Formats: sequence, structure tokens, C-alpha cells
Amino acid sequence: MAAVGKSRKGAGSLAWLSVLSLLGFLAIWELVCRLGFVEPIFLPPPSQVFARAASMTEQGTLAWHVLASARRVMVGFLAAVIVAIPLGIWLGTSRIARAVFDPVVSFLRPLPSMSWIPLSLLWFGITETQKYSIVFMGSFVPALLYVMEATRSIDPLLVRAARNLGANRWQVMREVLLPGCLPQIISGMKIILGLSWTCVISAELVAAKEGLGFMIMNGKEFFQTDTVVLGMVLISFTVLATDLVVRALERWLLDWQQQ
Amino acid sequence: MNDSMISIQGVSKSFGDNHVLTNLDLEVKKGEFLVLLGASGCGKSTLLNLIAGFEKPTAGRVSVNGKVIEDITAACGMVFQQYALLPWQTVQQNVEFGLKMKHVPKKERAETARRFIEMVGLKGSENKYPAALSGGMKQRVSIARVLANDPDVMLFDEPFAALDAMTRQVLQDQLLSIYEQSGKTIVFITHSIDEALMLSTRMAIMGARPGRIVQDVRNELPHPRTAEVQLSSAFIELKRAIWETVQQEVGRTLAMSRG
Repeated sequence: MAAVGKSRKGAGSLAWLSVLSLLGFLAIWELVCRLGFVEPIFLPPPSQVFARAASMTEQGTLAWHVLASARRVMVGFLAAVIVAIPLGIWLGTSRIARAVFDPVVSFLRPLPSMSWIPLSLLWFGITETQKYSIVFMGSFVPALLYVMEATRSIDPLLVRAARNLGANRWQVMREVLLPGCLPQIISGMKIILGLSWTCVISAELVAAKEGLGFMIMNGKEFFQTDTVVLGMVLISFTVLATDLVVRALERWLLDWQQQ
Repeated sequence: MNDSMISIQGVSKSFGDNHVLTNLDLEVKKGEFLVLLGASGCGKSTLLNLIAGFEKPTAGRVSVNGKVIEDITAACGMVFQQYALLPWQTVQQNVEFGLKMKHVPKKERAETARRFIEMVGLKGSENKYPAALSGGMKQRVSIARVLANDPDVMLFDEPFAALDAMTRQVLQDQLLSIYEQSGKTIVFITHSIDEALMLSTRMAIMGARPGRIVQDVRNELPHPRTAEVQLSSAFIELKRAIWETVQQEVGRTLAMSRG
């Protein structure tokens, strides 16, 4: 406990260094652009990116793009997780189920979500469903693998004890396997959420009418490099913000681990 | 029809070429405290697992309270050496587990759990998680969990082997008083002769390769088995008789594994 306390304190007192490094980075960037080392068409100064952010916020288009992407990520990601958790637990516990599904999973696993874009456009057109499907395809298989792995790591003695106390197979799943692999599932989901964002941006870069990926692509079409950079910064910010939300969720769900 | 609680008839168990038990017969009467005594590798845990339904016999049959054991059953509550408590549940929730599986109403199961938590001397620790408990406390939770589930038979798989000598003695005394209060039929595994003498009403000594019962003795030492009883000539005589059998068996097994 003492060691943890010490490192926490250390991290707190060094936060100013991180702030300083960020400010320094922005200052050098601004200076490089102002002094004319780089054409603003290739890299706009931060001040110009801020100005673009301000004007787009005023028009309301900024929030519109962020929300469009965030909604797609949430729908696709949640759908993937909702299917992956029960299926993964089942595959993790049943050797027969594993044998049946293994070829499908092995085939899907190496496919990047990008490779689904042409087919998904054929099937769904440039629609929301098409974006959801890309996010789903990109998140589902990794989520499934995480859940399977987590399920197999559970001490079989706990399952045996639960069965001995009268739990049937379904109760074992709900009362032992699911809570038992929740810590691993959640840490896996943090990584997969990042993946989902990559999926949605690539889908929007190829074909979309709104969203951060579209905003970047559209900025490029009109040579508004500041819009492009702003889009990139916003992707980074939204992913960080989602991560904070998941961390809070983790603390709440895994209360027992902290005791 | 009779007072037999556990009936093991002609049971053999092999794992591949490894014949762990051959043609074993054993009857345990209602309310008996049977200690299975033997060196490691003699098949005593396998025998316990057969009674609990964790393993299926290769030949013969096991029945408990008149019913043939075909699957894991809540009729035989097992106390494991490694406790097997659910780490994400509090003491209270762990003890309620079996009742919850049987859909006993919330109020009633909380009441029952509280009664048994008190019986094992853990009043005040209801809301702690297992990680916050000592080994002895964890084992008491595990005993309360089985008691709350009201099984026909309680099975103990070397439950105190991992505990220090002082804690072990306290738990032995407590188990005896629980046995006297509840009148449960108990099958208890140990490799400690003293533990067997302290607890049992009957002792079955097992030999290895193949596992079988080589000596079956009643233990009629008076209760409580105080220091005085442990120094009495009856105690010492019983201990000597068992010690000789155990020594012979261990010697035989060693000779076999050398040869």
C-alpha cells in the first residue's frame, strides 16, 4: 500500500511536467508555422485549428460530426459485445461448440474490417446500417476471442463448487463464468473500443455524409487542412473520453477487486 | 428401510491404464463421521469425487440416501481444501449461494445464511470479501456455505491441510460441535492420524495401487476429545494400531514404485 501511495503522489507532482510539455509542443508548432517553415496548406498552426473549431462549433457542425461517429461506434460496438459475451462463454466452456465454430472464427480473424467495406456497400448502400456493420465486423471477432480466453482462465474448481451447491449449467454461466471473467472482458473491451473507432473512421473515410472520418475527407477535398487536423485531434479526444467512461464503469463493476 | 446413508458397491475407477480404485465396497451409516485416512495417491480424493458425482465410476455404483449418483448433486456438500469461494461475492452472498440457486426467497435465505455464519463464528464479517479473510476464516465460510444448503452428506477434502496448527485445532473443535448440533453424515479425508482420531466416529484406512480399504475401525473415544483423552491409553493404542497399518501400506507402495 505504501508503494502505491508513493507512486500516486509522484504522478501527481509530475503532472505539471506533462502540461508544460504539451504547451511547449504547441508553441513550437505555432512558431514553425508562423516563421514560414511550413506552408499552412500542409500544416496549419494550432491557432488556425482552434479558430476552425470555434467557427464549426458556432455552426453546430462539429458536435454533429462527433455525435454521428460516436453513435455508430456505440451501436456497432455494443451489438458486437452483446453477441460476443454469451457466445464466447459458450465457446469457452464447450469443446464441441469450439470445434464447430473454430473454422469460421479462424477465417474471420485475419480479415481487417476495411476489407468488408466493398461488400457492406453492396449490401446496405451508403447507410447507417453499413457503418454499424463495419464496426460490428471489426469488433466482434476480437471481442469473441477475449471472452473465450477469459472464460477458459476461470478456476474450474469454482465451477465445480457452484455445481456442487446446486447450480445448473445456465446458473453456472450467469453466476460464476460471467462475473468471473468480467475483469478480463472489461480490459479487453477497452482495447476493442479503440478498434471500433478505427473501423468507423475508415468506413467514413470511404463513404459517408457526416462523422469525423467524413469531416477529414471533406476537409481534404476543399484543401482545408485545418479541418483535417481538427478532425484528427477530435478523434483522439473522443477515444480518450470514452476510455475515461469505461474506466469509471470498470471501477463500479469491479468494486470487489479493490477491497 | 435401513440406516445406510452412503452405499458404495463394487466401485472401480480407472483413468486410462491407471487403476485408482478396484472393486471397493463401503457403507456409511446415517450420522456417522467417517474419516478416510491414507497417504497421497491412495485414491481417497477420487473416492470422495465419486460420492459427490464429480467423477463417474468405471464399474459399480454409488448411492446416497437411496439414490444412485449419476451427476453432480447438491445432496453431497463438498468443503474443498482450496476453499473455492467466489471472490466477487461477500461472505453473506457466498453462504447464500446454494439457496439462491434453489430460488429461496431473499429474506429467508439471508436469515438462514446469517444463522450459519454465526454458527461458524464469523458474525460481523458478513460484508467482507474472501480476499480480506484469513485461510481459517475462508474455510469457515466454506463450511457455512455447505451447511446453509442443508445437504444429506458433508464431504471434506483435506480441508485443514493448508492451515497452521493452531487454526487447525480451533477448526477441528468447531467442526465437532457443528457435527454434534447438525447430526449430518460426514466423510472427511486426511493424511493426519491425529486429525482422524480427534474427529471420527469411524476410520477407514486406505492403501494404494489399487486403492482399497485395508482397515476399518470404530473410534469410540469419549467426547470432548480433550488433552486428557489424547493422553489416555485407549487413544495411544488406537493410534499405534493405525500407525502400523499406514506404515505397512506406505512401505509397500514405495517398494512398488521402486520395483
